[in-house]
Amino acid sequence: MLDLWNQLMGGFATAGTPINLLWAFLGCVIGTGIGVLPGLGPAVTVAMLLPITSQVEPTASMIFFAGIYYGAMYGGSTTSILLNTPGETGTMVTALEGFKMAKSGRAGAALATAAIGSFVAGTIATVLVTLFAPVVADFAVTLGPPEYFLLMLLAFTTVSAVLGKSTLRGMTALFIGLALGLIGLDQITGQVRYTGGVPEFMDGIETVLVAVGLFAVGETLYMALYEGRSKQEINKLSSVHMTKREWKRSIPAWLRGTAIGFPFGTIPAGGSEIPTFLSYAVERKLSDHKEEFGTTGAIEGVAGPEAANNAAVTATLVPLLTLGIPTSVTAAILLSALQNYGIQAGPQLFTTSSTLVWALIASLYIGNVMLLVLNLPLVGLWVKLLKIPKPQLYAGILIFATVGVYGMRQSAFDLFLMLGLGLMGVVMRRFDFPTAPVVVGMILGPLAEAQGRNALSIGSGNWGVFVERPLSLGLLVLLAAVLVLPRLWKLRRG
Amino acid sequence: MLGGLTAKHIAHAGRLGSGPALGPKTNTEMPMSSLPNQSSQTLVGAGVGIVGAVMAWGATFISSDAGYAGVGPNALPWLVSIVLMVCGAWLVWEARSGGYREMDEPSGAASGDWRAVAWVVAGVVANASLITTLGFILSCGLCFALAVRGLRMAEGKAGGGLKRSVIDLLTGVAIAAPVFWMFSKLLAINLPGLTASGWL
Repeated sequence: MLDLWNQLMGGFATAGTPINLLWAFLGCVIGTGIGVLPGLGPAVTVAMLLPITSQVEPTASMIFFAGIYYGAMYGGSTTSILLNTPGETGTMVTALEGFKMAKSGRAGAALATAAIGSFVAGTIATVLVTLFAPVVADFAVTLGPPEYFLLMLLAFTTVSAVLGKSTLRGMTALFIGLALGLIGLDQITGQVRYTGGVPEFMDGIETVLVAVGLFAVGETLYMALYEGRSKQEINKLSSVHMTKREWKRSIPAWLRGTAIGFPFGTIPAGGSEIPTFLSYAVERKLSDHKEEFGTTGAIEGVAGPEAANNAAVTATLVPLLTLGIPTSVTAAILLSALQNYGIQAGPQLFTTSSTLVWALIASLYIGNVMLLVLNLPLVGLWVKLLKIPKPQLYAGILIFATVGVYGMRQSAFDLFLMLGLGLMGVVMRRFDFPTAPVVVGMILGPLAEAQGRNALSIGSGNWGVFVERPLSLGLLVLLAAVLVLPRLWKLRRG
Repeated sequence: MLGGLTAKHIAHAGRLGSGPALGPKTNTEMPMSSLPNQSSQTLVGAGVGIVGAVMAWGATFISSDAGYAGVGPNALPWLVSIVLMVCGAWLVWEARSGGYREMDEPSGAASGDWRAVAWVVAGVVANASLITTLGFILSCGLCFALAVRGLRMAEGKAGGGLKRSVIDLLTGVAIAAPVFWMFSKLLAINLPGLTASGWL
């Protein structure tokens, strides 16, 4: 325990240096901004800024990226409440009640409960990460390739088959991602795969390119193609404060939301959709003001899901840092940022790069405070961002996309490829294919393949290696349960 | 071919409405407006299948040297190509038997504004082809001007005359220039310039 405390204090010492504080602040500002602006999410933004990993030292850039990830969650709720266009799936539920509250003149209270709830949940979740991550890391050291392989399969399954509406389209997206991940050199034998003789393909396809192409360019093209004429109304901002009664209704919702969100973030079950919807359902059931839900807007319906969202987002750091398994798109891109530095995320991270890990955790505490300040008193400034006309905004996004993609490898070829992925993004969005499995499949695919083949090497080609070890057998059972149970449940319901 | 397809669609749609013959996952709330979508859904499914087939062809060139593992570098490629072909076939089947299951109605207009998107695509293509010769700032400015024109047309407004385009170009340059300076000067990331001065 004392050891933990010392390490955390060491983390604060690293994160508290002026230059790192500046990176954290910059991350929070950029994150809030892109969270507020439609069209950009934290995943694309971090992806576009990945070229800086060639110059900035790892600790500073991870602090910076985490600030963006976090800030986007705060900023995203502002847009959900005022504009009813959730930027991230996690803030979708916030839009349900928050927009209604804003419409009936209580935008300020909704924004306040969202920001303070995010702060409360983020801080509690960070404490939990501090306490649990080292324990999980200690445990994870005992895992071998078979267990890792199955954990990754579990992440694939949940992200593609369980979360989306259509398993078929989720699977298709996942395997498109795996296919993209195959291009380049095989990690184990160095064999060239699917390069078609194009030298640019030898190093594989950059993560930045896929994320930016699918999300930023895809979004811009979709906007031009289908959404130009969609009109939006912006709700009026009212003074940002909560009455005593609103505090009373918010606090238990925040705590419940945190309790629901955190566990979902820690398991490889992908993203914050399930916990936010679950929290919304719970609040709706427990509320004394059921009549406000869906009509004038109930504050619990904003407070709970917002807290659940932030707790889940923070908790995704546990599997990311301790196992090297990303459970959200942004986490997947953070993983590839670490890969750019040659840092292997996984249980050894806590020993080999303990300065980085603890500085990152400390910066989460600091970032939460910064974000509360940035988002509560200054919310009026952020709302001004919504006044940027759409054509200029989206055309500007293309410039930033170019920096990210070109800056990574200095190759104009990549810009054409980016356009190709953008077109794919449009098709996927139009036909309701989920995009997250593509990114997760592409980044995690090569890792899973390596683990799987190593596992089989251990067993000298005997597939029994996956059932002979008790832990991997347990994971196999869990995998089967995740695949079968939701379907049984669906069948029973009708 | 296309005529036959539509007749079949209507037959399938009829079956869809008459009862849960297609199993519990069938979405009976499928709006009728999705009927013309079915040929494009078939196309998307076919595209996935073709990607799978091309990958299978590519997989035949990969060595199967398995070493101790019993699975070599060609195992995952084969798995991916087979799954994609199966998914593609399944998507085609879904498309032709009443449309994709459990679909959300896509957001935005029913038909695409192809003229608007052509301008945006032109912007990105121009940028990709000219960035090494014109330099980052001018090339991105041009991309911005073309894209903004397309996006403005998508909103139903006029693309604008020469004056408007010059303003757009300058706006693009005004956004691209600080980005270029920040990345190349502050972060020392290599972006192409028109001159060797590092400022343009």
